[in-house]
Amino acid sequence: MMKKCGTIVAALGLAMIGVGNARAADPVRIGFSLPITGIFAPAAPSQKNAYELWRDQVNAKGGLDVAGTKRMVKFVSYDDQSDPGQAVKIYEKLIVQDKVDLLLGPWGTPHHFAVAGVLERYKFPMVGDTAASVQLRDLKPGYIWFPTSALPDEQGKQLPLLLKSLNVKTVAITTAQHPFALENKKFIVEGLKANGIEVVSNSDYPLDIRDMTALISSLKQANPDAELSLSMTGDSVLYTRQAKELGFTPRVQFVLVGPAATFFTKIFGDQVNGLLTMGHWSPSQTKWPKAKPFYDAYLAKYKEPPDYLDSALSYEACEITEQAVAKAGLDHEKLRQTISTETFDTIDGPVKFNGVVNATTPTMFLQYNNGVFEIVWPKSEATASVMMK
Amino acid sequence: MTGRIARAGGIVTAAALLAIALPFVANNYFVGVGFTLLVWIALTESWIVISGMTGYISLGHVVFIGIGAYIAALTWLVLPIWLILPLAGVAAAALATLVGYPCLRVRGPYFVILTFGLSELVKYVVVNIEAALAVSGRVLFGAPGVETLYFMALALAWASVIIAVAVRESRFGSALRAIRENEEAAETIGIAIGRFKAAAFVLSSIIPGMVGALMIMRSTYFDPLEIFSPQTSVLIVTMAVIGGSDRPLGPMLGVGFLILLQELLWANLPQLYMIVVGALLIAVVVWLPGGIYVRLQQMITAAAR
Amino acid sequence: MSTQLLIAALVAGSIYALIALGLNLIYGTMRLLNVAHGEVVMIGAYVAYWGISLLSVGPLVSALVAIPLAAALGAVIYLGLFRRAMRSAEFMERIEGNSLLVFFGVSVILQNVASLLFTPNQRGYRYQDEIVHFVGATVPVNKLIVLAIAGAVCVAAVLFFRMSTLGLAIKALIQQREAAALVGIPLARVELTSLCLGFAAAGLAGVLVSMTEEISPFMGFPLTVTAFVVVILGGLGNVLGSLIGGLLLGVLETFGVALTAPSYRSIMIYAVFIAVLLLRPQGLLGAGRSRT
Repeated sequence: MMKKCGTIVAALGLAMIGVGNARAADPVRIGFSLPITGIFAPAAPSQKNAYELWRDQVNAKGGLDVAGTKRMVKFVSYDDQSDPGQAVKIYEKLIVQDKVDLLLGPWGTPHHFAVAGVLERYKFPMVGDTAASVQLRDLKPGYIWFPTSALPDEQGKQLPLLLKSLNVKTVAITTAQHPFALENKKFIVEGLKANGIEVVSNSDYPLDIRDMTALISSLKQANPDAELSLSMTGDSVLYTRQAKELGFTPRVQFVLVGPAATFFTKIFGDQVNGLLTMGHWSPSQTKWPKAKPFYDAYLAKYKEPPDYLDSALSYEACEITEQAVAKAGLDHEKLRQTISTETFDTIDGPVKFNGVVNATTPTMFLQYNNGVFEIVWPKSEATASVMMK
Repeated sequence: MTGRIARAGGIVTAAALLAIALPFVANNYFVGVGFTLLVWIALTESWIVISGMTGYISLGHVVFIGIGAYIAALTWLVLPIWLILPLAGVAAAALATLVGYPCLRVRGPYFVILTFGLSELVKYVVVNIEAALAVSGRVLFGAPGVETLYFMALALAWASVIIAVAVRESRFGSALRAIRENEEAAETIGIAIGRFKAAAFVLSSIIPGMVGALMIMRSTYFDPLEIFSPQTSVLIVTMAVIGGSDRPLGPMLGVGFLILLQELLWANLPQLYMIVVGALLIAVVVWLPGGIYVRLQQMITAAAR
Repeated sequence: MSTQLLIAALVAGSIYALIALGLNLIYGTMRLLNVAHGEVVMIGAYVAYWGISLLSVGPLVSALVAIPLAAALGAVIYLGLFRRAMRSAEFMERIEGNSLLVFFGVSVILQNVASLLFTPNQRGYRYQDEIVHFVGATVPVNKLIVLAIAGAVCVAAVLFFRMSTLGLAIKALIQQREAAALVGIPLARVELTSLCLGFAAAGLAGVLVSMTEEISPFMGFPLTVTAFVVVILGGLGNVLGSLIGGLLLGVLETFGVALTAPSYRSIMIYAVFIAVLLLRPQGLLGAGRSRT
């Protein structure tokens, strides 16, 4: 009997040591949702890839540094079917049911807005990424932050300045009927007026447009110095293709969303040369030592370059989270404090938040130049000067 | 007939009482799932009032959801929520009244395509209105939490089932069914088919309008391209058909089944969920007309023998 | 400028006409509402894409594979899903509604299988995209090829339905089903042939579309919608009607937009669509067919 007791006690003791060790090696669980199905499905891979690249890099180094202890990173992710309502449900599930340690952002502005409410309710801090709208500024600061600097009001101020520096006097604008495009148009038109640049043509078109012949023909007639195609991914492709077919080649061509995505250059190759687009990251920026290594690592792992907007922002969100957790551990209030006040060193340079938005990274524009997007504006951040025809 | 309504009402109220208990025992995640369930029940039960009963399949029901959502987005922070909800229902009913008469004179497959065209037309009109107003997406700050929304959804689901049962058991419902079986004959025996169809159409639009308001309160973001998505219309039809669009219990089965399936398949292969839904729909239509409800009934009757 | 627009209208219209032609064949003979028609186009498009990307085979050659493949798909769907069900009177009573649901299930499956296998990203290839100047307009060669082929097929279709035995049989089936049976037309065989031809047309359209546009697993749905608009314009079941309807839609889209504004494109199309449905559901060319 005594011997049996002893064995049991010994077994229990060993078990407890085992449990103790297991607890120390518990992975850090990070949750998020992405549109794996639904209309935004094409956008998900660039974000997913960035998240997974970061996870693999961190785990290769022995794990995430949680205020001194290294723990492996494990993702808990779901498909939100491109529906912000689903995203709300999923993030609640992640917090309440799966009890994850950290959260990363979903894809897209509406989804971030939807999730912001959840974060606020559960007092769970999360660094957002692929969202950009002036309405972000109206969000109550505290549990969500946005590293993007591609906010429409800033772009509306800066783009006219860029155009002015290129001696552009007349501009034609075509805008997709999509919230982000329309938001940008509002501010860009204001900025153009303020800078004395004439808008000779200004039309909107439905997002599912299949033929831009009439539209581009009228642009040809207007003959502007610069054309601003405030288009979203699908219609950017259509515009770029048909502009070439119809022989419309203005001196300056800006395309809002699309060129920065990987598949765009796959489809068009060197036709993309000279296109201006929004974005605030480039591997050519030597001021940011982490930029090129990220580009190379992504290219090596996925055999294609990263998306200059979505992939870069997603990776930055991971970096910021990583650095904050190293300092503050997993406690929500401490994390919140840290993220709100510290300056972070990311592939996009230093990032410090003021309230909800990024206060350090300036709004920039990119131009495609033989295989890589260079930063061409503002001059202080430029990695190359603007290529002109 | 009153007895049947009373009994059905009793069962529904009992179920509702059970459902009321949910938020107090389960965590917010399950309350969220409950919300989704209730919302789809409200939508499908409302849909069968027109499409199940008259046979006029509406493939554009999302237009009522969208209108209700738009009204809610427009009046957000201007009106209190208890005013916004009914107003959303009224707006949807107004649209149904406006288009009901002319649209319901069109029969069969034409009606199906027409409702689809109508919902797309309204979608693009709203998109253009928003563009003209220079509005790009509306955020609804300060929306109520999931527990409050859950109870509102519960009320709407409960109401939709009562309406569906009451319509089915009433003379109005018999007239609708007569229209479904043979419209010319119904007209001959004196049924005012135009008015009855229009009435059913309007009745089927009210709750979806209010549901629209609830849905954007949940996602806190209004974007016309999303809220008017034709996929919602198709899902309503799918859930109702799979469950059985003939009797009020059918859609609830369809909704429950599909949501359950979604919960199970979500985490693994999401495309698989859609493929399974597609296959289910085909299977039900080809091999199980009447939906799961009818098959269940047959099984129960067979077992009872 | 007008020549430019006219060519754009013709190219778009000829594709619409081809797709609508297929849809009409399937509906006219069997009253099946094929809402998966766009997905068949998508499959044709992907066959052409993989043909050129993996095997460096031009789309016109890939068409030789895409067309029979699409026809086979139609046969499989018909024989596997519909034939047994169509023996039940109950099923046939609401055949349009039922077929709509079944084909909807098919379209969901096809879209998601394609998305799983090919990833949801847009893909495209460059084929004959040199620009030529043609009567005062600039057109890429591939669009001219599309116009030529689609146009030729449409003209051939018109002749086929006027002059060949099979074509006349199909027409008879569309117009007067019972009478057609009475005069000895083998219903089942003609139906199946008609269905396969309809699917084949969609497959061909897919190859043509892939020459000038990017493709994705979800490209089908808007094409299905457009096809229905055309079919309604021209009259459900009316083959010539869908050709004219297609051209009409192309013209409406291109010139209508040029005259008003691009943002009104969808509103215009759906408004015309609804107006035709409400005022003349048998279509602009339909001859007072009974409404049921």
